[in-house]
Amino acid sequence: MRDIKLKSQRNLFQRFNLEMREHMPVAQQALVIACGLIVGLIFSALMLMVSGVSASDLLNEFIISIFTNSRNINAVLSFSAPLIIVGLAASIGFKARFWNIGIEGQVIFGAIGATVIANYDIGPDSTRIVLMALVAALFGMAWMILPLFLRLKLQVSEIISTLLLNYIAFNFLLHMLYGAWKDPVTSFPNSKIYDMSERLHKIATLDVSVSILISIVLVIVVTWILFFSRFGYAMKFVYANPSMAKAVGINFGIMLSVAALASGALAGLTGFTISAGIDSRLTQGFFVGYGFSGILIGFLARNNPLLVVFFSLMMAILMVAGQTLQVFYQIPFAMVQLIQATIVICVAASEFFIHHRIQVVS
Amino acid sequence: MSSVKIAKKSIVPEADDASGTMLVLKNIVKTFGNFTALDDVSFGLKKGEVHALLGENGAGKSSLMNVLCGLYAANSGAIYFDGQPVLISKPSDAHSLGIGMVHQHYKLVKTFTALENIQLENGAGPYRASMKNLQQRAIEVCGRIGFELELDRPVEQLSVSEQQRVEILKILTANARIIILDEPTAVLTDEEANQMFGAMRSLAATGCSVVFVTHKLREALNFADRITVMRAGRKIDTVLPSQVDARSLTNLIVGENIIERPQRSKVVGAPKISVSGLSKKGENGFNTLNNLSFKVNSGEIYGIVGVGGNGQNELVSILGGLSRADSGQIELIDHGNIENAEPLELRNLGVTCIYSDRAKYGLANDLSLAENFAISGVLAGEFGNRYWVNNRRIRSAAHQAIETFDIRGVRALHQKTGLLSGGNAQKLVIAREFSRKPSIVIAHSPCRGLDVRAASAVHKHLIHVRDSGGAVVLISEDLDEVLQLSDRMGVMYKGTIVAEFSVPADRNNIGRAMTGHA
Amino acid sequence: MDFLINWFSNVPQSAVSFALATLGLIICERSGVLNLGAEGFMLMGAMTGAGAVLAIGNPFFALLLAALSTGAMALLFGFLVITLRVNQVISGLTMVFFAQGFTTLVSTKMDWTNKAFTGVGKVNFGWLVDIPVIGKILFGQDVIVYLTVLIFAAAVFLFDSTEQGMRIKAVGENPEAADSAGVSVAINRYLAVVVGCMFVGLAGAYMSVVVAKIWVDGMTGGRGWIAIALVIFARWRFWTALLGAVLFGCVEALIPRIAAIGLQVPQYFMLMLPYVATLSVMAWSSLRRKSNGAPGALGKPFVREERS
Repeated sequence: MRDIKLKSQRNLFQRFNLEMREHMPVAQQALVIACGLIVGLIFSALMLMVSGVSASDLLNEFIISIFTNSRNINAVLSFSAPLIIVGLAASIGFKARFWNIGIEGQVIFGAIGATVIANYDIGPDSTRIVLMALVAALFGMAWMILPLFLRLKLQVSEIISTLLLNYIAFNFLLHMLYGAWKDPVTSFPNSKIYDMSERLHKIATLDVSVSILISIVLVIVVTWILFFSRFGYAMKFVYANPSMAKAVGINFGIMLSVAALASGALAGLTGFTISAGIDSRLTQGFFVGYGFSGILIGFLARNNPLLVVFFSLMMAILMVAGQTLQVFYQIPFAMVQLIQATIVICVAASEFFIHHRIQVVS
Repeated sequence: MSSVKIAKKSIVPEADDASGTMLVLKNIVKTFGNFTALDDVSFGLKKGEVHALLGENGAGKSSLMNVLCGLYAANSGAIYFDGQPVLISKPSDAHSLGIGMVHQHYKLVKTFTALENIQLENGAGPYRASMKNLQQRAIEVCGRIGFELELDRPVEQLSVSEQQRVEILKILTANARIIILDEPTAVLTDEEANQMFGAMRSLAATGCSVVFVTHKLREALNFADRITVMRAGRKIDTVLPSQVDARSLTNLIVGENIIERPQRSKVVGAPKISVSGLSKKGENGFNTLNNLSFKVNSGEIYGIVGVGGNGQNELVSILGGLSRADSGQIELIDHGNIENAEPLELRNLGVTCIYSDRAKYGLANDLSLAENFAISGVLAGEFGNRYWVNNRRIRSAAHQAIETFDIRGVRALHQKTGLLSGGNAQKLVIAREFSRKPSIVIAHSPCRGLDVRAASAVHKHLIHVRDSGGAVVLISEDLDEVLQLSDRMGVMYKGTIVAEFSVPADRNNIGRAMTGHA
Repeated sequence: MDFLINWFSNVPQSAVSFALATLGLIICERSGVLNLGAEGFMLMGAMTGAGAVLAIGNPFFALLLAALSTGAMALLFGFLVITLRVNQVISGLTMVFFAQGFTTLVSTKMDWTNKAFTGVGKVNFGWLVDIPVIGKILFGQDVIVYLTVLIFAAAVFLFDSTEQGMRIKAVGENPEAADSAGVSVAINRYLAVVVGCMFVGLAGAYMSVVVAKIWVDGMTGGRGWIAIALVIFARWRFWTALLGAVLFGCVEALIPRIAAIGLQVPQYFMLMLPYVATLSVMAWSSLRRKSNGAPGALGKPFVREERS
């Protein structure tokens, strides 16, 4: 028999009680997340300073010049188009609790699809760019079929299956670029440059490509589907309680498949946007950073397409800043990745206060 | 409840006599956010007594006991043990004081054996030695109170009453002085319940105190030395069984007289749904459903009573279209066979299911009231079309439904469903399901966890469906409920209907059928 | 025949990193914490190990330092998922991105990238290594290989025959039951996460310090993810995991040798082999049985008070 403990004083840990919070008003949630963001940015600034960027430079380069220098603004808009689309890709999957970690692989295959059309000059010149976009979406979707099948029929986690396909896709890309699609002129591992009809051009007098328009249109479409359509209404239940969704008559298999395939298609489209809109060819490393950026944007935006735009712009600013860091301060692009991860950690940590309440016990 | 009473009861002269009191909870307050679970509750327990904590669902009985055993931290109040103030802020504090609780949902690690579960709770010193020691103690305790139990089988292979014995052993092998049982007979047959209380009586005779939490009047009257009644988070009174009867106790529990009178059907029509020969093999190779058949006519409530775990879940799942039987048919008269129909099709045919696990199948707790109410209608095209969901129409229909179905605790339509109390949440489920005027209702334990008023409301809705010519299948473990509502009933045992009775029926015969001796 | 001996004698080196990583993940996940950050922890271990060797010189000390630094990173991960109860999928993925960024950054700044060094030599068993066929395979390995088998045996002993092992299992199967029994869910999970991740870091360090004897950005190349799949294949059991690791060691050791036997397979398709193998293994695992042997509470954060 254990000794009877007679205590009339509480120690530090026993003074507090952890409790689940039932609801927090949206405005308050936004405030908490904003605090998390700010803390994350502060840590990032500290890391940059430790790496040799002085505080005044930080202010100049990253805050002021981003918004004033027109070349920087164009670069931000240019980057944000594919980021928005890839953020939508992640969000649409996550809305059905389908963790599409294979976005990178689908981006690769999307660009491969577009390059097939471009390299072999398929279709009439005037509509080739549209065909490229369609085929890119299709290829991205196709790369999703195996993980979807494995999840539906064999309950294999899509986290791992989509992720393994990333590595397979990357090796396939290298196989093509070092082989059949090597640049005939320079022998570098990138495809031959796209013809003029195969590129996304700039809008009128602005220095930004059409892809930004494409991404806005997609945001509108996805927002409509998720917030106003019957599909979107049913999807809320697929996320909130899959068992109940099935019991109430929602066809879970179809909902999951549509979400997953749409996610793959959007990711494929992103690949097209990068290769036809930015690089004008297929390169070895075009996709680097977009995969996990998309996932992080989806998470930060809580799968809301309108917030995806906001966070994509933020990520784009980060990416432009990252380029400046590389060129002028010799800080590798990996710093951007680190900053992204830090911001997500801080925001995720701040969510603790949204779901929990700490009570003081008397 | 069987009519056999336990032979010997200790004699306690006065309900509130403080002599012999070993444990006192004083002025306990516990809140969860805005909800007050315990409102200044005080409770006293004597040495060697069997004490019933009685009240309807949601009265706060379990919460009080959770405070006592360290799972909940009270906002304020004090606990005195043998006259000394003590602090119970986590389960191990309660352990040290010799307080143990057997919860409604057993806290057992399914993949461990019974002995390993006991070791987890009470292990001391080197592993092997401790296991041996506990094994000896367990065998000794079993002998003392008359339990039979295999200690070396994984708990997931044990029956529910055997699992309960493991829980009790966990406490007794730690030389507990106070045992708390939370709704111990919820999943036991009458016979198993008797055995269990007999063991508790033997225990009390050795100087331990037993508290059992229950909502069953009969149990409290039959087995307790004293009864404490709680209602809505407050303690109402402590009485002796000899001083009260069922009626006065009900008054204390509910605060008013709510007696439901059975209402038999006036017009029973032609057969509406016919289930024949349903069979299904479970994961471990045994049949969960074994050639199960029954028919229900229109204008009739068919009750299916049986101890949980005899295939009820599988039956409901198949009837709702969530899973398929291996063989057998379900025929909807004037329509055809529906055993392979998808849930959406079934709903469009007027078949609706109320599942017992509301959190899993009934509601999405993170979504709003309006959404949970409207989803069926949205899917059926009642609130707009595929491209545009008409939120205005949803809002007005939802307001209407909240009025009609008396759903309380609603501050706004967009509030999260998880905030509703059990009774109101169930009313929301019914509002959704019944507003599409179903003609066949399968209700599985629809009133589990509900207070008397809410349960009565649910029953009224079921009766209404029946009186409109529908067919209702009421599957429940509560024999009282089934006897009260059904026009005909069947007893489910080991996956099949072993006996059918017309109501009113002899409880003894039914009881025998429930244990397989039809 | 020579080909086979050559192939198999290189398997243990390839298998060890899979084995240790999978072992670490199983320890972590048996306590109920889903760990998708394996790739990140391996990277951390690989870089710290290589950096330590370049800075200090002693490879064994370097392995220890690598394990410790990964343990520190695991504390961050643990804090996120155990104390703050953040979604474990996102936390794990974030750990991977964090480590990718951090390791590239630090190794570039400290100029550790692409600097070869001497690693750990093979254990001298004297004449045993000359036994035909099995000599080279069984007795021609470095000390970590043999240590790995011992580690596995120790892990099995810990989990099956000690109180601590039982506590970790309980916390992973049913934390409510464990909590009610007076076992601290948080402390046991922290223990399992930190110790488990230390082994994952050790696996990464083995790759850089012993096998490749160099650090290159992203050198773990997805092994962390394969280890995650191996955990599922092994149904969270240690000896089966070792078997799986050996199998994958065989696949990996085979890749550079395929050209030698004259099979003309495009280079990049060869490199796809481990990932295709992993996919097949996962599909086959799911076909075998309905229940997958996962710890009951895997992936679910634990809070004691929740209103029912």
